[in-house]
Amino acid sequence: MARKILFNIFAWMVVLMVAFPLFWMLVTSVKPQFELFRRPPSMLPETVTFEHYWRLLSDTNFLGYFWNSVILSTATTFVVVTIATIGAYSLVRFRYRGRETLAFLVLFTYLLPSVVLILPLYLMLVELGLSNTITSLVIAYTTFALPYALWLLRSFMAGIPEDLESAALVDGATRLGAFKDVILPQLLPGIISTALFTFILSWNEYLYALVLVNSDESRPLTTGVMNMLISSFNIEWSLLMAASVMMSVPLIIVFAFLQSYLTRGFGAGGVKG
Amino acid sequence: MRHIMAKQQQTLLERRYSMLGLFLIAPTVLVFCAVIVYPLISAVYLSLFKIFTPTLEGSWVGLDNYRVLLSKGEFWTSLRANLIWTVGTLSLQIIFGVGMALVLHQNIWFRSLARSLILFPYFISTVVAVLVWKWLFNDLYGILNHLMITAGLIDWPIDYLGSMPNAMISVILVGAWKYFPFVVIAVLARLQSIPDQLYEAAKIDGAGPIARFFDITLPQLREVLVVIIMLRAIWDFKEFDLIFLLTGGGPVTSTQTLPLLVYKEAFALNQMGMASAYAVIMMLIMLGFMLVYIRRTRSEES
Repeated sequence: MARKILFNIFAWMVVLMVAFPLFWMLVTSVKPQFELFRRPPSMLPETVTFEHYWRLLSDTNFLGYFWNSVILSTATTFVVVTIATIGAYSLVRFRYRGRETLAFLVLFTYLLPSVVLILPLYLMLVELGLSNTITSLVIAYTTFALPYALWLLRSFMAGIPEDLESAALVDGATRLGAFKDVILPQLLPGIISTALFTFILSWNEYLYALVLVNSDESRPLTTGVMNMLISSFNIEWSLLMAASVMMSVPLIIVFAFLQSYLTRGFGAGGVKG
Repeated sequence: MRHIMAKQQQTLLERRYSMLGLFLIAPTVLVFCAVIVYPLISAVYLSLFKIFTPTLEGSWVGLDNYRVLLSKGEFWTSLRANLIWTVGTLSLQIIFGVGMALVLHQNIWFRSLARSLILFPYFISTVVAVLVWKWLFNDLYGILNHLMITAGLIDWPIDYLGSMPNAMISVILVGAWKYFPFVVIAVLARLQSIPDQLYEAAKIDGAGPIARFFDITLPQLREVLVVIIMLRAIWDFKEFDLIFLLTGGGPVTSTQTLPLLVYKEAFALNQMGMASAYAVIMMLIMLGFMLVYIRRTRSEES
């Protein structure tokens, strides 16, 4: 019994150490400025203030960046998941020449470093006159999001028993009818989990946003917030921590309500490969 | 006769099906060609030119870029930094990840809460992670220096990111913190599928917890660990955001890995062609790993 308690205390100490940076981010964001530079630092804020959040929303372009990120990630997720769902259906359930090569290509690009693609993509998007637009980022994000989504959905699709579809076909359904009525409902949890991963991936992306967008109008959160750090004369940590917390809000929501979908996605894509 | 007709009908149906299959894969193929295959080919093509980034004017230089980069010291120091970073952060991820998975596999209090907390660093943006760690590392007001001084571990504040070897160690540690949850989740899923009877039998045979770990748990985890190590090695090798944002490759070039070198060459030194050559070389280095991983995954499937 005592051993069990000791083990629990040990386990939780490790967990809390891992989570400490995030706790400290939260604490710093609600501390008044004068308390921030006190020695020794207070572990819990003596007075809780939301002034930094207020300043973030009223004095900086944070909301603009936030909105850009919402549009960008939603658009990317929508485009990528739509293409990948029918693509994965085709890859798993149809036979034609080149199918294996394509599956190989998907896995290959899933592992491909983005610095290889970023230079030609940059040139291409400049030539198309799309630089500094959110559209250019949606296009660039498909380079990593589409192989990823295809790979995830492919293994979700492979988990649906083929008999269900055959039964519907025997009953006189067309292939597409069976897809809509039999496969899609079965695939829904997989689609949700793929959409969540794609959204998070786009929400967090930094390199393409750094290279392709150089105007505050279409800058997403990642580069926008980093710009706040670089361009300010003296770094205001509490403001930056408030921005970090706000930036993680969508994630916290996913974690609170949809965590089972995340774990499922991990099982399909991360481990099996 | 009827038999033949049925067969003909079947092949007709099959042909229609494969047409439908091609139709459904068409959007994927189109997008792949436009944003992946075409850029990939033009990356190789660009590397044969000397291109000034702001004007995008180029002149053919053939393989000169490659000749120059292989004889330049910067490529080799970057490759070295890249390998140190990858091996360092990957080993920590594996050790912490397996350890944490073993802990979370036990029935501890509030297990699902603990699991969420562990998972969180993996899902937050690298930008957030870097900002938080820069604040923790802050030389004057950072909590890390304060805690270490209070504990008597150090006498003076440490410069975590501005000097060597501290910068490399810090980057490796932050990388391990950010990415070890991936290992935890993957290993945890595998642990849950090890049959209990194996442990029961070992217990009856008198094996202690350590012997049980080495005789049962580790062999059972071998497969999944190989996959995780390959996947994470590829991902860590090409990591850009974390290192770029934490140190920018500094001090001087001591944490400058190959992806950072590509970025610098293209957008700070304005040598787009040279940067492409670096990118292509980097891809060639990774190719071996990628092909091994792909072959393994494919053979597992069939």
